[in-house]
Amino acid sequence: MCGIIGYVGFRDARTVLLEALKRLDYRGYDSSGVAIIDKKLKVYKEVGEIANVEKQIPLLKGTTGIGHTRWATHGCVTKENAHPHLSCDKKIAIVHNGIIENFTKLKEELKKKGHTFTSQTDSEVIVHLIDEVYKGNLEEAVMASVKKIKGSYAIVAVSQDEPGKIVGIRNESPLVIGVGDSENFLASDITAFLKYTKRVMFLNDGELCVITTQSINVFDKNKKLVRKKEELITWDMKDAEKSGFPHFMLKEIYDQPETVHHVLRGRISEIEETITFPEKVEKLLNTEINSIHIVACGTSFYAGLVGKYLIEQLTNIPVFVELASEYRYFGSRNESSLVIAITQSGETADTLAALREAQLSGCKTLVVTNVIGSTATRISDGYILQQSGPEIGVAATKTFTSQIIVLFLIALKIALLQRKLGSDELYNYIFHMKELPRDVRDVLERSDDIIAIAKNLKDTTSVFFIGRGINYPLSLEGALKLKEISYIHAEGFAAGELKHGPFALLTKDTPVIAIVTQDETYEKILANIGEIKARGSRVIAIAEDSDTEIQNHADFVLRFPASAHVLPCIAITVVLQLLAYHVAHLRKCPIDKPRNLAKSVTVE
Amino acid sequence: MIKKAVILAAGEGKRLRPFTETMPKVMLPVANKPLLEYVFDAARKSGMNEIIVVVGYKKEVIMEHFKDYKNVKITYVTQDRQLGTAHALLQAKKHIKDSFIVLAGDNIIDPGSIAKLIKDHSEYSLLIKEHPHTSKYGVVYVENRNISKIVEKPKEDVGKFISTGIYKLPSSVFTDIEQCYSQGVYALSSVIQYLVDKGKHINTILAKSWMDIVYPWDLITVNETMIQATSESTSGTIEKGVTIKGPVSVGKDTKIYAGCYIVGPVVIGDSCEIGPNACIFPSTSIGNNTVIHPFSEIRSSVIMNDVHIASTSNISHSVIGKGCIIGDGFSTITGKTIIEIDNEFKRMGSPIGAMVGEDCIIESHVVVDAGKIIGRKCTISPMKHIRKNIPSESKVM
Repeated sequence: MCGIIGYVGFRDARTVLLEALKRLDYRGYDSSGVAIIDKKLKVYKEVGEIANVEKQIPLLKGTTGIGHTRWATHGCVTKENAHPHLSCDKKIAIVHNGIIENFTKLKEELKKKGHTFTSQTDSEVIVHLIDEVYKGNLEEAVMASVKKIKGSYAIVAVSQDEPGKIVGIRNESPLVIGVGDSENFLASDITAFLKYTKRVMFLNDGELCVITTQSINVFDKNKKLVRKKEELITWDMKDAEKSGFPHFMLKEIYDQPETVHHVLRGRISEIEETITFPEKVEKLLNTEINSIHIVACGTSFYAGLVGKYLIEQLTNIPVFVELASEYRYFGSRNESSLVIAITQSGETADTLAALREAQLSGCKTLVVTNVIGSTATRISDGYILQQSGPEIGVAATKTFTSQIIVLFLIALKIALLQRKLGSDELYNYIFHMKELPRDVRDVLERSDDIIAIAKNLKDTTSVFFIGRGINYPLSLEGALKLKEISYIHAEGFAAGELKHGPFALLTKDTPVIAIVTQDETYEKILANIGEIKARGSRVIAIAEDSDTEIQNHADFVLRFPASAHVLPCIAITVVLQLLAYHVAHLRKCPIDKPRNLAKSVTVE
Repeated sequence: MIKKAVILAAGEGKRLRPFTETMPKVMLPVANKPLLEYVFDAARKSGMNEIIVVVGYKKEVIMEHFKDYKNVKITYVTQDRQLGTAHALLQAKKHIKDSFIVLAGDNIIDPGSIAKLIKDHSEYSLLIKEHPHTSKYGVVYVENRNISKIVEKPKEDVGKFISTGIYKLPSSVFTDIEQCYSQGVYALSSVIQYLVDKGKHINTILAKSWMDIVYPWDLITVNETMIQATSESTSGTIEKGVTIKGPVSVGKDTKIYAGCYIVGPVVIGDSCEIGPNACIFPSTSIGNNTVIHPFSEIRSSVIMNDVHIASTSNISHSVIGKGCIIGDGFSTITGKTIIEIDNEFKRMGSPIGAMVGEDCIIESHVVVDAGKIIGRKCTISPMKHIRKNIPSESKVM
């Protein structure tokens, strides 16, 4: 879950590393540090914000260095536990992202050999392992050391005796090479060096790279040289900046008229009445599918739950949505089932592990992700890109809506392939999907109404979200958004489930947000609202423009456009996102970096 | 050398309703680019490396669009209430240390004129332009190339030159603005008059090309001018049997089906679907994600993003707002009509068609008289003949 960076080149390493760490800090930010070779290896680390480290570092001439932002997994948040970690002679430094499973055993062995440990981290064993076998060639020492390690890692190492060289290796944790002119980069994420270069190389698991100002050499497990293809990143730095918005999250919410259009780009045609996916994906969908398992974590899991309703409705294929962290150990696997993994970053450790498990048991795997070249795209049988652009805010917004749309497209494609969809129906779906940008714009236009409700909610301690059918996962997502950024306790329930328990928690100080759509459950949810009102709680309904009945039942009504014929869930989601945002904003919460959370969760 | 420009982009543009109901005036598209982007481009080409944009009305629309704008540093400052241009400029005060350029975000200007302004020896200078109808503008009276008087929106067309609102000013002007502000003067032209009265020399320079958009139909004429610069480029798919003449630019993932006949200059955005057998004639721009069905004809029009135009429609000299859904057989009558604006009747110099606001749903076989404005989010039943302006959010049954 940490962010790592390595630099070798002609620039002042201090500036490059600090800049990169600031870009990476959304991955984790309880402490950070850098090591720079300025004749001698110099290490600076500190707890808290990156600025705390920045203050400590004097002006250095060094142009080789490594850096790290930490999000604690082993050992508490202290200066000692911050990376980089040093060998006993303070000549070798490493940064690590991942988890070393057998570190306790390794630590004991190393202690017996006379190594002294200064931290409680699992990572520190790596540098001592390297130190143990180091004979003047860093890559050989790293290669030999990782053979002893069990677990996931991305490691970048430097040695004072070999200035102008950094060595990186990865296994199940992300590491990307940035290719510059007379300078090169290594980082867990492209955004770290995007300011300097757009040329990148992706490393596979087990591959090691040796990087100097002039060369990049990649070796596989057997120390055989691997030829790597350079790829060009087409989005640029500005994308990853806030562009005048007070928070990334708000910017990303406002990105959505564009992203809901991007995800459809080149995939639907109104004139031809077609839905097109890459050949590999079409092949996957055009096989006998008896069941679909969607595996994901967090917000992606909720997108999966929405997807379940969409896919089952259109195809009648049973869909099971499973938390990746559970599925990998306990899920049932069936060769004729299609496993769809949803992961924004393509690096979510639990989801990747679930994906591997699924493949081992012979399932076909399809990945929905936002990041091209990510591990998930490389280990699956096929992948569909969300094309949402980078998402920096820790709370997922635009990627959630895009994931739903991808799942809907998958549902339509399967239904088409299985001849369950008439051409009129299909035309109707495609036609209305093209209106999604306008639905989203329409909701954004109404943010003033949402702010008014946010003012009403900001001092509450607990909020319930309820909905039926597809609105049930939306209430889960609405609750997740609210709790993760505003720190107000929030829970989503299927409206029909309230009386089976949650009612006990309901007091007059618990506002309930009810998602109401004019479908077959309309009467039922009105009845639920009645039950809640009878207990004195405020009800805020999220309802269609055309619903003239709801104001007689709810205390407040937030509207979404009635034109949202297909996927009204997209417009509703935007309402929920804005609501969460404005509540958090009024409560002055650090919206883009909620406490204890990180953007891509690359540990299990 | 001057490196900073302040662009005023906070205004709403009430006279451009319904198109400005959801976006500020500066974001109106001309040849598929917002007006403001032309101003940014001109500032950049004349050597500016930092732009301070004063935003207010619907600022998110601006910030969202320019998140990808390259090569210059963009800083946003907010004017919460749109009191006047001097007050707007005052918001940028803390970002300005030296002389700077002020630009209006809703006027298209050529970079050469800005360069002339920068090179001018005088401390204060203003770009002016000859105009046949001066009464809607700030009229500038000139003596020995210096401003002698500036009169904002006179009752009649007096004088010869108008102010483009593009100035070169020293940072000390903020003191003068604050001075005027304390006396309740919020317009930049009044501050300039105050400076003239104080004995300051304010040089005038004639701008080469400068365009203003005041009314919705101005979009058609400005679009016609700006689209001339279109160069031919195709990144979408063009089926066999499509005829393309003159400069036509086709965006990513757009598909043009067989039998279409397109005569440039025409700009077509990303992810559009056009045809089969549709005709697009010169000076037409079509936004992103728009679909034009078979046998429709479009000429000299601005079609914005996310629009659906069903088959056998005929749209000419018209503006169709974002997200409109237009049924088949839609037809705009085009003519040199008389239009009532601000309680005045005005004969249009060039033909105009229909102005359709955002998100309208127009069912099949609707005809709109020349120069009629249909507001935002209107619904119009089939077979209607629209003979008068329709206010926003109304239903025509």
